Amino acid sequence: MVLRSSLKNCLQLSCILRTPKADFRNTTSGGLIVQSVSNDVYQNLAVEDWIHDHMNLENRQVLFLWRNSPAVVIGRHQNPWRECTLRLLRQKKIKLARRRSGGGTVYHDLGNINLTFFTTRKKYERMENLKLVVKALKSLRPQLDVHVTDRYDILLDRHYKISGTAAKLGRTTAYHHCTLLCNADKFVLSAVLKSPYKGLKSNATPSVPASVKNLFEEDPSLTCEMLLDAIAEEYATQHQVDHHITVINPADETVLPGINNKTKELQTWEWVYGKTPKFSVNTCFDMVYKDSVLDVKVDMDVKHGRIEVCNIDLPEQWLPPALCSELVKSLTGSKFCPNETTTLATTLLRVCPQDDELQSRWNLLCENLITLM
Amino acid sequence: ARKFTDKHEWISVENGIGTVGISNFAQEALGDVVYCSLPEIGTKLSKHDEFGALESVKAASELYSPLSGEVTEINTALADNPGLVNKSCYQDGWLIKMTVENPAELDELMNEDAYEKYVKSIED
Repeated sequence: MVLRSSLKNCLQLSCILRTPKADFRNTTSGGLIVQSVSNDVYQNLAVEDWIHDHMNLENRQVLFLWRNSPAVVIGRHQNPWRECTLRLLRQKKIKLARRRSGGGTVYHDLGNINLTFFTTRKKYERMENLKLVVKALKSLRPQLDVHVTDRYDILLDRHYKISGTAAKLGRTTAYHHCTLLCNADKFVLSAVLKSPYKGLKSNATPSVPASVKNLFEEDPSLTCEMLLDAIAEEYATQHQVDHHITVINPADETVLPGINNKTKELQTWEWVYGKTPKFSVNTCFDMVYKDSVLDVKVDMDVKHGRIEVCNIDLPEQWLPPALCSELVKSLTGSKFCPNETTTLATTLLRVCPQDDELQSRWNLLCENLITLM
Repeated sequence: ARKFTDKHEWISVENGIGTVGISNFAQEALGDVVYCSLPEIGTKLSKHDEFGALESVKAASELYSPLSGEVTEINTALADNPGLVNKSCYQDGWLIKMTVENPAELDELMNEDAYEKYVKSIED
């Protein structure tokens, strides 16, 4: 059973560094296991940043255990428009986060566990960490057919991906984190990890889609708690420390000074969307208006999440040219974002004469533009 | 003459402009580079500032500025061909060019021999 320590045991992590444990025999095998009380993806990613930036890992390695309420997490250099259906995320109130490590896009919910292995840069070793996870799983259920691939995935039954890996190398420290599917909602997972956006051209790092399965499907007696416990146990054994889990609260500035700023930064539009590598949208769509079908061509260059260049080709005179060029001018420099575009479009329409025909045409065009975002 | 940092970046200064890249040791350790995130031209950097990141099959790894100065050019070839960093880390795989605000900072860096010795010492 996972030890759920009370807040009293919420030790200051910097304290842990300074006071070596009494039974610390081998300084290079020291390990600390921490678990987050939060299910907020931004708070948990902030904890990773904090440990990465502030902890001295020369004599002690850290294992961080965390779970998130529904969220899609994209890699450092990925394009969210290419990786998921943003409209669906917004509808279902699923959070979108960009992590600082590389790799591809994953879906998190409470049926997925996240493990982060912190070491010095020198001791960075993903295979070892994943073998530890496999060992833990097999100690729980020896009949499980799980193994690590050379892509650092963990496969169940030789075929289904149950874990994906990503990593970050910093100045002196490194971390390797991975997911583990216990009982996640596969229906939502496959619905959101699809991109409906057409005509996107980008050199952002792509994801490699895979068939996934939950460990729960293989063995319904397995729970996230059991997995977390088994992994913590294995880590403790290998690092020759007690199987004690230090619980941390990612909102607590006294334990993690500066953490709230890190959390805030991860939530900013500039980080989540603005860090998207430059991409272009070159697409056409048909607009059905009354009895005709209109051909519209859109070309946009998006840099830092903002429309740098914008071109909209409409049938001549379908809308007043002056209004169209105003639209293009306003879009240029604005965020590639449905809310911003809606605001922009509404503002522009206000300066036009009250004309129902014009309004409905305008709304149709803008609605279609927004579906690209 | 090329100078090196202990974070495995190199800088080569000519006519007041420094060209920056990563060393062979670094590119080998990184593995195949799949993406280069570089700063905007005009970005002002202080020595040790993070100026970008390289994503490889191994991990995302930050890049740190060897000197203080302003970015004058970035290697746009890396957008379509990030593998240049592995194939030609000292020539075609350069990352950025920058002004040298404080030439004295160059003296703090290692020359090629010192760097070779440094790499040997870490490898042990």
